[in-house]
Amino acid sequence: MAAEGSGGLRLVALDPEAGALGLRIGEPLGRVRARIGVPLQVYPADPAADRDSLLRLCRWASGYAPLVAPFGPGEAADGLYIDVAGASHLRGGETNLVADLAARLARSNIPARIALADTPGAAFALARHGGGDRIVVPPGGAAEALRGLPVESLRLDPGTVAGLKRLGLRRIGALDALPRGPLARRFGEALLLRLDQALARRPEPLAPLTEAADHAAARGFLDPIGRQSDIVRTARDLMAELAPRLERDGLGACALRLALHRVDGAVRALDLGLSRPERCPERVAALVSLRLDRLGSALDAGFGFETVALAVTVTGPMPARQTDLGAAAAGDGVGFLADALAQRLGRALLRLEPRASHLPERGDRGVLWVAGAGHGPSTDRGVGRPRARLPLPAPAAGLAAAYIGAGRAASGSVAGPLSRAGEGQGEGRELSERGANGTRGDGVLDPDASRPSPQPSPARERGPGALLHQRRRSTVMGEPSGIEGEEKARTSASPWTDHLPPRPLVIFPRGEAACDVLSTVPEGPPRRFRWRARIHRVAHAEGPERIAAEWWREPGADRDYYRIECEAGHRLWLYRDGPHAPDRPAAWYVHGLFA
Amino acid sequence: MGLDPADETEAAIARGDPRARLADLRVRLAPPDRGREASPVLPTGVPDLDAHLPGGGLVLGPPHEIAPAEPADAIAALGFALALCARHLARESGEALIAAGPGQPLPYGHGLAGLGLDPARLLLLEAGSDAEVFRALEAALHARALTALIGLLRDGLPLKPGRRLQLAAEGPAPPLLLILRPAPAGLPNGAATRWRIAAAPAARDRFGTLDRPRWRARLERCRNGRGGDWLLEWDHAAHRLHLPEPLACDAASAGRSRA
Repeated sequence: MAAEGSGGLRLVALDPEAGALGLRIGEPLGRVRARIGVPLQVYPADPAADRDSLLRLCRWASGYAPLVAPFGPGEAADGLYIDVAGASHLRGGETNLVADLAARLARSNIPARIALADTPGAAFALARHGGGDRIVVPPGGAAEALRGLPVESLRLDPGTVAGLKRLGLRRIGALDALPRGPLARRFGEALLLRLDQALARRPEPLAPLTEAADHAAARGFLDPIGRQSDIVRTARDLMAELAPRLERDGLGACALRLALHRVDGAVRALDLGLSRPERCPERVAALVSLRLDRLGSALDAGFGFETVALAVTVTGPMPARQTDLGAAAAGDGVGFLADALAQRLGRALLRLEPRASHLPERGDRGVLWVAGAGHGPSTDRGVGRPRARLPLPAPAAGLAAAYIGAGRAASGSVAGPLSRAGEGQGEGRELSERGANGTRGDGVLDPDASRPSPQPSPARERGPGALLHQRRRSTVMGEPSGIEGEEKARTSASPWTDHLPPRPLVIFPRGEAACDVLSTVPEGPPRRFRWRARIHRVAHAEGPERIAAEWWREPGADRDYYRIECEAGHRLWLYRDGPHAPDRPAAWYVHGLFA
Repeated sequence: MGLDPADETEAAIARGDPRARLADLRVRLAPPDRGREASPVLPTGVPDLDAHLPGGGLVLGPPHEIAPAEPADAIAALGFALALCARHLARESGEALIAAGPGQPLPYGHGLAGLGLDPARLLLLEAGSDAEVFRALEAALHARALTALIGLLRDGLPLKPGRRLQLAAEGPAPPLLLILRPAPAGLPNGAATRWRIAAAPAARDRFGTLDRPRWRARLERCRNGRGGDWLLEWDHAAHRLHLPEPLACDAASAGRSRA
């Protein structure tokens, strides 16, 4: 029995015994306890774990057909669709497929109701309200099968269902017999949409968990494999199988997914991102090997993997190139190194890129290194997905919806037989990570992650500021808007501006406060200050260079920067934050260090 | 070291005393480099310094260890390493990789230009530990795709990873490999040279403003070479190190130059 709060604790799932006691889902827990004298065992609901279990089940179910979609929140998120169109003959027909699915789920202790029908809507309705555990509707029989079902099986919102019941429309057949105009006027377009989707009058696209890859290969083993070298060799063989197909299409793999199906049904998916399109089996094998190295024992082989599948999830154009007999192209080695480091360490190579900002700390950022991208985008960078979307499920296609968990006490048992709960979460994170920058072309690191915008004090956030050189540099004044255009004009040379005054070799993300500063007031360089527990005596000072705050980002005071050389020979970059005021002595910060 | 070895050498060569003859004899008696041809080097551009290094420059391939004289000189050491890297990049094509351990300062793009290093030829890797830095450097050495490698370490270079790097560097066309470590972490390892860098007052230009960075570089250990102590000045435009020349208006170096 599970319960979870929404306006107080309410029941969200019950096991069969609780159902026999007359409890209903949605009842407030307090009232239930008062009404029933039996002591209840209540567990907090964990939607995230439920979702993970469902996704794991989806991955497992993709063994039946490539297109598997979990139920969305509107469908109570407790089941999944399998588009078996064109795939049922592999299991000896639809009836056999459903029987096989039910048998396997039963073996895993997952209570399930399975319905196979023409449309997702019909399958959903039959699985929930069809009154049987295994229902197979022959093609074209959906309207017949649905006639007697209650209207709530149409995936409507509760308000609509209540309205329909008030009108005495309890069955789908009765609803379908009515003229459509008044229905639409009264209940909105959504009702007709759901009705039409269930009756195959309108197509319903599914949101599949993973889109079926155009280029995929799999190999099954009678004897499960568990050793790393075997997995690597299999990956190489699979890639060798895919390479001619990719070559025929003029494509290369930009991202690969290696799915390892364990004997007990768990699936480990390893996503490999490549910096440039690739179809060399040896390289893919090397990357797989590095990735497995990194995983180490985290790749829980259990009793071994019975199926290894390699799918090309993202492809990129890879025109035929004339290869020379000598060494590989120059950028090639770096690309492979970048891939190897990404697999082995899970870290990407970065490249510094200037930003159009006058604030020093916002002046550069780390950008993911991309093969072939020097100063500007190159032709290799166009990593696209030149493949057609999957055709929408035809209305007459066979569709199965499995409704998992008759009593939702099964939440734990769904997760149980597949694998540990933590593993699924890890996979999910990996997927989303790789998915986010699977192409690695447009993934720009959050600049603030590596070099957070400096705030000497929380109240003063700096933005890119106008640069006003007080001394000797009046020509630069008033240029901030022109910088970008100027930069664009000479991207061919170097994107880094060369008219800046000297900048330190290392800059702190935010200024570090210098204490006990002895300086001439109101304006002037410091003579002596304490920083990092040391007294620094200034032997030489240059400045000031005034850098204004970015008022369009956040207000702040102007900063006057000084280059300082201490008596010990260290060169520092200090700034005074705002002007000196009689009642408030100016604050000084060390912002960078020169070589 | 009581006497400055730099002075000593010059004097010795000038007088032609037994030391020079001994060195001459050593060269003659040395085995023909074990059948191998001389490994490529990066000349520092300072003849006096190159004379102390075997082969006339920093050997490409095996690691060179650079440490600050004291913790406050860490940036000076980084500047020295990047200057060497810039010099190598100016002579060779290709890119450089900086693999930084946790908490190590990464260079600022606009500041690199001041050292004569093109940021576009620099790749960065932020590693989670020193071990990852070693792995990255080793992978880069095996890949032979980069021209210069710099590792910024938190704990120093122990013997085992140093040996691994040395082995990985063997072969044709090795890159320049520099290891930066913090001041106190001196461990025995297979580094070809070991440097101590301290900041020194910069050279001034004609107007008395700070111009070229200077470092006091001490060559503590050098395999098949001799140690030394120099005040070096980096010319970022010409990509070369040189000994400070006493200029008429150069107040900072007056009386300080020792070489």
